[in-house]
Amino acid sequence: MEFSLLFAALMGMLAMWAMLWWEAKRGNAADCARNLWDVALTAAVAGLFVGRLAAMLGDGVNPLTNPKDIIIIRGGVATGWAALTAVVTVLVMGGKERWIVADGLSAAALAGLAGWHSGCLARDACLGTASDLPWALAQEGSAVTRHPVELYAAVLLAIGAFGLAAWKARGRPPLGAPSAAALAIAGGVRLVTEPMRLALSVGPTLWYWAAFLMGTVTLIILLWRKRTQAAPVAATPRAQPENQAGP
Amino acid sequence: MRRFVILILVLSIVLAACGGSDVDVSDVPELPPVTGDEMMAILAASEEPVVLNVWASWCIPCRSEAPLLERAAEQFAGEVTFIGVNVRDGQSGAREFIAEFFPDAPIDHYLDRPGDVPIALGGNTGVPLTFFYAPHGELVQLHSGVIDERTLALQIDEILARTG
Repeated sequence: MEFSLLFAALMGMLAMWAMLWWEAKRGNAADCARNLWDVALTAAVAGLFVGRLAAMLGDGVNPLTNPKDIIIIRGGVATGWAALTAVVTVLVMGGKERWIVADGLSAAALAGLAGWHSGCLARDACLGTASDLPWALAQEGSAVTRHPVELYAAVLLAIGAFGLAAWKARGRPPLGAPSAAALAIAGGVRLVTEPMRLALSVGPTLWYWAAFLMGTVTLIILLWRKRTQAAPVAATPRAQPENQAGP
Repeated sequence: MRRFVILILVLSIVLAACGGSDVDVSDVPELPPVTGDEMMAILAASEEPVVLNVWASWCIPCRSEAPLLERAAEQFAGEVTFIGVNVRDGQSGAREFIAEFFPDAPIDHYLDRPGDVPIALGGNTGVPLTFFYAPHGELVQLHSGVIDERTLALQIDEILARTG
């Protein structure tokens, strides 16, 4: 039982590694000198550490007087601080190639989150609020059927990861756009599934909104800039005959 | 390097100023002793569902889940009864733990020095353990090890669903 959380973490790591491996064949961040896997692992560990510290402080537990508690991740990790730390770690480790590294990791990060959520199967922690839908599940010995909310999140994040990977491979998105899209997808999926989650407190919805809005607005700006920058180039051939026919 | 050291120092000072409890150990009453039979009688008499947590002051994982249980006890006060059973421990250690981790939580704590209660309830000798009971002592779920927020919320929802 104690190691079920570790299993979920391993599922997340495995999904992230698999996506990086699959994308590498398609030239994901091909010109980047950084090792994306190293960056991803460091960001995940840094995020967990800071998220755990934030959760302890939020619960009124002093990490300096209770240092052993830090490693008991099951006690809680503050999602917002963990995600923020992971993103900052990626950007810092990326150096001058920070946006290439972030874009290279964007689909893998979503895949990793999908793997993490699917790890609920080992933890018996997939179920959320009560539901009568045909696919609702009940825990052993219970008559109450519930939304398998963690599986919803896993499926949506996996779809987002593959969609993003396909866009990166074929669509040639502007620099930073895949990262913004990943942020919007991660925040959006959590926002959609949060009402079906059971928790003692309202989840960090503000963080999810922030991620979703920041990602969406950035994505729109980047795509709009790409479109406006590309427009004059496309217009040139049509303008040429008029110029030639000038006085 | 200097900036890093300054950052660590500032962080340490901030962390040192955080956390901790204002409750003095002398304000925490002595824990009443309890046996397995007595605890079963308490559970059988309960009109409310019960969350029974087995803990010890020397148990590091118990520390990590204590804030969660405190929060749950405050949130479900009046709907769910929270009971803490301190095992294989002494009064001073138990009271220090309560002063630090459960300062104001509506949890009824008992002392089980030999550690017989969890065995009598169908558990094991490990700590922490969390039992979830429907009203009148019907065991719904036993969780071994540190409990997380999702599991705690789910099991409380389950025992509340059996109340109506």
